[in-house]
Amino acid sequence: MELYDQIVEVIAKEGMVEADKIKPDATIESLDLKSIDIVMILTAIEEKFDVYIPMDGAFQEAKTIQDLVDALAAHIKKEKS
Amino acid sequence: MAQGRRVVITGMGAVSGAGLGWKPLWTAARDGASVIRPLEFARDYPGRIRIGAQVRDFDAADLIDRPTLMYCDPFTQYAIVAADQAVAEAGLERSTVGGADCAVILGSGIGGIRTVDDGLFNLYAKGVKPEPLSIPKLIASAGPSMLSIRFDAHGPVFAVASACSSASQAIGIGMQMVRSGMAERAIVGGAEASLSVGTQMTWEMLRVLTPDKCRPFSKGRNGMSIGDGAAMFILETEEAARARGANILCRLLGYGTSADARDPIRPDVDGASLAMRRAVEDSGVSPDEIAYVNAHGTATALNDPTEAEAMGRIFGARLPEVAVSSTKPVHGHALGAAGALELVCTIMAMRENVAPPTINFLEADPKCPVDCVPNAARPMKIRTAMSNSFAFGGVNASLVVQAAD
Repeated sequence: MELYDQIVEVIAKEGMVEADKIKPDATIESLDLKSIDIVMILTAIEEKFDVYIPMDGAFQEAKTIQDLVDALAAHIKKEKS
Repeated sequence: MAQGRRVVITGMGAVSGAGLGWKPLWTAARDGASVIRPLEFARDYPGRIRIGAQVRDFDAADLIDRPTLMYCDPFTQYAIVAADQAVAEAGLERSTVGGADCAVILGSGIGGIRTVDDGLFNLYAKGVKPEPLSIPKLIASAGPSMLSIRFDAHGPVFAVASACSSASQAIGIGMQMVRSGMAERAIVGGAEASLSVGTQMTWEMLRVLTPDKCRPFSKGRNGMSIGDGAAMFILETEEAARARGANILCRLLGYGTSADARDPIRPDVDGASLAMRRAVEDSGVSPDEIAYVNAHGTATALNDPTEAEAMGRIFGARLPEVAVSSTKPVHGHALGAAGALELVCTIMAMRENVAPPTINFLEADPKCPVDCVPNAARPMKIRTAMSNSFAFGGVNASLVVQAAD
């Protein structure tokens, strides 16, 4: 599975959002993802990929799913490299 | 404005990362000298965020007699030491402060968590039995109970647990009791000693801790640091204080509290502003008279803009003229003791006519349109001031104090 799909799967599960609603241009707000949902998502990503995700920076600024996935994917790749 | 007797504060005391007494706490806050440092734990810390404001060089055996100390988790120890200072400053004795009509109300968000943390670690990891006095030490009411015993105070005596609003609520309820005649005197405040491997890790999981610096109201803010400590106050009527020739530190004019009744962790403009509005109305002053606000100001992404917006509803167009600072980057977020440590800072800001700074400030965040007294203390006339506390669970509390004439 592509990294993008794996991350979307976590967002769907932890954020309790239907997977087919998670389009790249969908905003975090439109999916009703609150800060606590993001906390749950980031924690699950940490577990799944065995990485540490800091709470500041691009993750806080992300407006859309694409922003969030890009920030997470870049971070995972960097930590794994 | 509430009817009843006028309530004053005649003594205060504190234990914090800055040391013993309200003076080192205030000096650190005023001078912007943070006491947040690398954390030292007896056991290895597996997390990544290793800073906080621990109470250091605190020799409990030197400060509290052994029969008492057996029953004291660190949060109770801090409360006792701070209360002893407050009683002494009020010109009272351990034997005379209490009595039939003396209330003791102590806020603590968690109670004896260090006793729990140590006990469970020893039990689960090492198979060592808990110490026999674990229960009386860890109960959330251990603090107020031990204070009532120490000062022969017959009540009402109880603990207030509303997370980060605990101390402000305890102080506010104590004021209401003295004001109404339900008590003649009240020993009130907050105490927290939560810093342990278990709790720090738990906070870390919630992603509200900064890995570097706590920067309230600033762009680039990324969370808070936890602090331990206690602050205690002696409340009595102005009439009684004057009759016994006591030194009056300030008037405790107003208290307001509210619940968001919405989200357990997301701060709420309606709830926060309602607590402030109630405190201002209770105090009988106009919002225009409030010169300084010691903000809740946690430096989380969400609290600071919410608090700024809520203050906008109280102060309106005057908001940019109100000095608003958070002293949390100096003494840490002391959770259930926060409102007490911050009331010390609020009272001293008023007594010395200087607004303490919000340190670590980088640049203004348009989402937080307040004058947060960035980085340097500001001498200014402060006759009336407010202190805010907002808690997980959605409980809010604000206090209004005024200089005594």
